[in-house]
Amino acid sequence: MSNAETILQVSHLGKSFGKHEVLKDIDFQVRRGDVVSIIGASGSGKSTMLRCINLLETPGSGQILFHDKDITDPKINVPAYREKVGMVFQNFNLFNNMTVLENCMVGQIKVAKKDKETARAQAMKFLQKVGMEPYVNAKPRQLSGGQKQRVAIARALAMEPEILLFDEPTSALDPQMVGEVLSVMEALAREGLTMLVVTHEMAFARDVSSHVIFMADGVIAEEGTPDDIFVHPKQQQTKEFLSRFRNS
Amino acid sequence: MISEMNFLERIIYLLQQYGISYLKGAGTTLLIAIVSTAIGCIIGFLVGIVQTIPVDKKKDSAAKRGLLGFVKILLRAYVEVFRGTPMIVQAVFIYYGMSQVFHIQLGMWESAFLIVSINTGAYMAESVRGGIISVDPGQMEGAKAIGMTHVQAMSNVILPQAFRNIMPQIGNNLIINIKDTSVLSVISIVDLFFVHKSVAGALYTYFESATIVMLIYLTMTLVTSRLLNFWEKKMDGDDNYELVDVMDIGDQLRKKGGR
Repeated sequence: MSNAETILQVSHLGKSFGKHEVLKDIDFQVRRGDVVSIIGASGSGKSTMLRCINLLETPGSGQILFHDKDITDPKINVPAYREKVGMVFQNFNLFNNMTVLENCMVGQIKVAKKDKETARAQAMKFLQKVGMEPYVNAKPRQLSGGQKQRVAIARALAMEPEILLFDEPTSALDPQMVGEVLSVMEALAREGLTMLVVTHEMAFARDVSSHVIFMADGVIAEEGTPDDIFVHPKQQQTKEFLSRFRNS
Repeated sequence: MISEMNFLERIIYLLQQYGISYLKGAGTTLLIAIVSTAIGCIIGFLVGIVQTIPVDKKKDSAAKRGLLGFVKILLRAYVEVFRGTPMIVQAVFIYYGMSQVFHIQLGMWESAFLIVSINTGAYMAESVRGGIISVDPGQMEGAKAIGMTHVQAMSNVILPQAFRNIMPQIGNNLIINIKDTSVLSVISIVDLFFVHKSVAGALYTYFESATIVMLIYLTMTLVTSRLLNFWEKKMDGDDNYELVDVMDIGDQLRKKGGR
């Protein structure tokens, strides 16, 4: 990992749904410029962990420090925190009642209180970056999955977050659309955006990320550089998980 | 002399004599139905919005949770009482009953608007609640993820979609109200049905007058339903969208071609 400042520090994070313990004692940190991939089987707690970081799920125990401030504190201003932590969802969650351009402007205007012209320019800049600027007048229902996800990325970027969380951003896409979204994410990683990516795309985790976390049964089973995880995995369950992907 | 006429002649006679009265009655019916549906929608939205306010056990104080719980119970009672009793009974209860016992004498117009509005409100509250719940929860998460508060997310993302979802029910309520305002004749509102009763009572032309009144009601409901359909289509917007020519390539080509 680099020596840059730590943005996010997760320590002893735990979460249960009823009696079912989905996260146990999760510890890791994200520094500025890191691209951290979180891999693991379905049901291993990856998405729940990511949703805890954005407080879409209430963390059960432990701490999540954002710039040394504990965001699990009930007194924290949640909307102001979320403004700095973007999120891209598996199911896009674009606002169905707005056009592509409005989707990318509404947060800037209502939340960041920018004026319309500034917001429009900013939205256009990021729509251009993801290659969706010709579709500004389209409604989400008129777009393909890959196009929707690229707009969702532009919407998140338009808020200029310090870190962007991706919750299985390509899992709901047809195979031929996965590539267009991954290449956008790759470009963002190269520009130095701090990213925390829950993914089943092993090639992305191996080639793009600076750090890989392998989760199993609600705990971090192994973590390290892509080389550590993909070339020299130490744990038996990491090896088994990866071999399933190699064979497929 | 009216006893010597045939059916058609009687209808023509009634229209000549009382045409204006019928139209005025129809106007009253429409006025009460439209205004009360609009007010009822506002009531319904307010109740529906309050009923879907989330409670956070960790963050909200006990006082806030207690108050919200109490208000929700009151609203629940309002919905159940006004959905569960006939409007005609509510009308006599408010117009005659309240003056007898509490000495509150509302005017008949105030009573009319009040009764139909709160009745519609009770029905709409449930529709709005359903409309809000039926919006994909991902929409709320998407709004929260870019830093919106609950209020911002509701007003910018959820309610516009909920409104579109319940448009058919709003239309339905309006049509029901056009017909059901006829019970207001019980508190002497001179609506279309009241005109019919007066005319039929004076000339014993029940069949002819009822025919006229039926046709007027049918016309009003059919036109309303067409207009609402049209409005719904308009709300959905175009099925097509135009690609925006960012680089002005089209412009450059046109200029070249022009030269």
